[in-house]
Amino acid sequence: MARESFDKEIQFLRMLALAGGAYNRKQFAQWLGISVHTFDKTLRYMKDIMNTASKKLPEEQGKAFEEALQLNYYESADPLLLFLFRAKSVRESESHRLSLIMTLLQNQSLTAMELIDACSADIPSDMPLPDEKTIRSDLKYLEEVGVIRKAPGNRPYRYSIHNDLITQLTDDELMDLYDFVDVMANTQVPSVQGYLMRDNLKSALGQRGFGAGHMDPFLYKYHYHSRILDEAHLYTVFHAIKQRRKLRFLYLSPKKQKGYASKNTNPLFERETEGIVETVLPMRVVYDHQYGRWYLIGYNARQGVMKFRMEGLTQIEEGDVVPEAEFIQKLRNVEEKMQFSWVTDTGKLVKVRARFYNPTGSPANFVRDRVLLQGQWGSITEEDEESFVYEISVNGMSELKPWLRSFGSSCEVLEPIQLRREFIAEWKEINGYYEPVREDL
Amino acid sequence: MNLFEKIFNYQVISRLDESGSFALTSQERSWLRMMLEHPSANDAFSTGTREKLQQLLEMEPLMDIQEIILEKASSQVRHVYHPLLRSLRRMMMHGQGILVTYRIKHGGVKSNQSGFPYKLEYSMVKREWYLLWYNTRHHTLMSTKLHNIVTVEHKEIPADRAEMLRVKLADLLGSRKECAVIEVIRTFNAELSRILYAFACFEKQVAYDEETDRYQIRLTFQKDESEFVLSKIRFLGTRVKIAEGEQLQRRMRESSEKALARYGVEG
Repeated sequence: MARESFDKEIQFLRMLALAGGAYNRKQFAQWLGISVHTFDKTLRYMKDIMNTASKKLPEEQGKAFEEALQLNYYESADPLLLFLFRAKSVRESESHRLSLIMTLLQNQSLTAMELIDACSADIPSDMPLPDEKTIRSDLKYLEEVGVIRKAPGNRPYRYSIHNDLITQLTDDELMDLYDFVDVMANTQVPSVQGYLMRDNLKSALGQRGFGAGHMDPFLYKYHYHSRILDEAHLYTVFHAIKQRRKLRFLYLSPKKQKGYASKNTNPLFERETEGIVETVLPMRVVYDHQYGRWYLIGYNARQGVMKFRMEGLTQIEEGDVVPEAEFIQKLRNVEEKMQFSWVTDTGKLVKVRARFYNPTGSPANFVRDRVLLQGQWGSITEEDEESFVYEISVNGMSELKPWLRSFGSSCEVLEPIQLRREFIAEWKEINGYYEPVREDL
Repeated sequence: MNLFEKIFNYQVISRLDESGSFALTSQERSWLRMMLEHPSANDAFSTGTREKLQQLLEMEPLMDIQEIILEKASSQVRHVYHPLLRSLRRMMMHGQGILVTYRIKHGGVKSNQSGFPYKLEYSMVKREWYLLWYNTRHHTLMSTKLHNIVTVEHKEIPADRAEMLRVKLADLLGSRKECAVIEVIRTFNAELSRILYAFACFEKQVAYDEETDRYQIRLTFQKDESEFVLSKIRFLGTRVKIAEGEQLQRRMRESSEKALARYGVEG
């Protein structure tokens, strides 16, 4: 499948995961900039993948695709969006051949010629028989991705599967490994490879007699499942950073500046025609825990430090290499600018002071606990029985503001006065949302 | 490194699965090698197993992608793994009951409480582990921080009783569900993406009314999570309001009145 088509699928899945249930197919198609026919075809393709990939969960099959994508907290910890990474199209004959080779090498080591003979015997009669060149190129590919390896020795080489990680472990060790991979994939970034490995270990445990009932002992509360969609671009960005290469992409800003009055515009993403082509030197990637979102931080001679939401990057291509010294200098600049960013804001450094009120009638001071837990580099400067003052110097106030506001009446902004005024105005407005409706008599 | 490998294709995987084979790629192993460097690996494995894994992976290139990732606005991590996870997970797997002694909030200790473990839950916000369990004497659903558990031992219970308790727990959790409808204030439709991301960690259904150009998000959550839901709503400020859910609406009204009072303003 072409890259652009992946871009579209990611958008598609993101939209289903975030706004499931909100749109009909006509609206969907219109907003994706595709025909209803293409929409239906894509949906059918994805349903097919999903049903095959999640056959371990037969109860899911009857469910509508959209519904199955919804988070069902207590049912299963299987990351449903993972199937995006299982969507690479492979010809039927190739998928047969690759899986056959791997199966044949599972318990024995074979040469290319032995494999050709064995394959010829096992390939279904309606499929073309593989020739030597094809098998050799399959072996080369499988060796490159690390699934098989050459046994030591001279030509003709013998190949075997590279599964020691599973076969060398006792049941108990394999269970520990499965749990570790599950926990790390769910709590750390990046995680796609972890989820892929989790699937493998799950099958391995299943074959050793551990049923599906044993596979979901853990739950992850307030976890952002959709974050794995953005990992699709992570390695391209990583590669470019390592190589000190510029990246060129079409940026579809999820934060649209104008034109929202138009009814036909979906705020979740724009059409390609509305995107902007950007070229930047990539520096870092930011993962924002508050929303489960990713950002690319880059540098561009015209605009200096630039920030992009990863979900808006499409048609990414690598560009020219820049000298090491230039990269390091720009990187220092970015690091310096972002040192006091709550997330990515590189605005002017400002000191914010807020008074937090301890809860009354509760033995646990959950307000103070939460400030210490989430207040990043800010500190508590004054404290008495009833309240404490929290101080932080931060680049711009806009990213800190939601956090302060989330404390409700337990937080009173003291400084700067502008922020204090904004809080008063906002609380007035919010209060207005909940005023009892007065009946006209 | 490419996440879209042919080898990850769903048809390849399902064929392998049918024949009882696996295909581990070198990028999965490199990822694992990177994760084994995390201090939590010490609590996840016995020393012997950890060394064995390291040895099995020593030929893999170390993935160094975490160098380029800056994690922002995260809660301080209390722990990623907890030493009790391994033993509790096995008790759960074997359908065993537990005898647990734990510290309580107000100080003091509850000793030798009989129960049945249900799930181990990690909060991405509090960044620590909890045990969800059923107190068989008091017939209540409990959530106890692993950090507060002093001792826990397994206690045999018959298989049919374990099954009965599992059903009971699922019912109990189901019965504690609550719903609320959050409406996006129309002038903030442009920020829909931000709003939906903020609620992406909940069970939810989104509805869009084309006539009025109005988005509504129906959230489903456990009763004891309503404070967290409220903090998310306050986080989003004037962008959203609670359209359905009397209890939450009342709390928001109180919260905004009290906040205004702090500033010496009347609501």
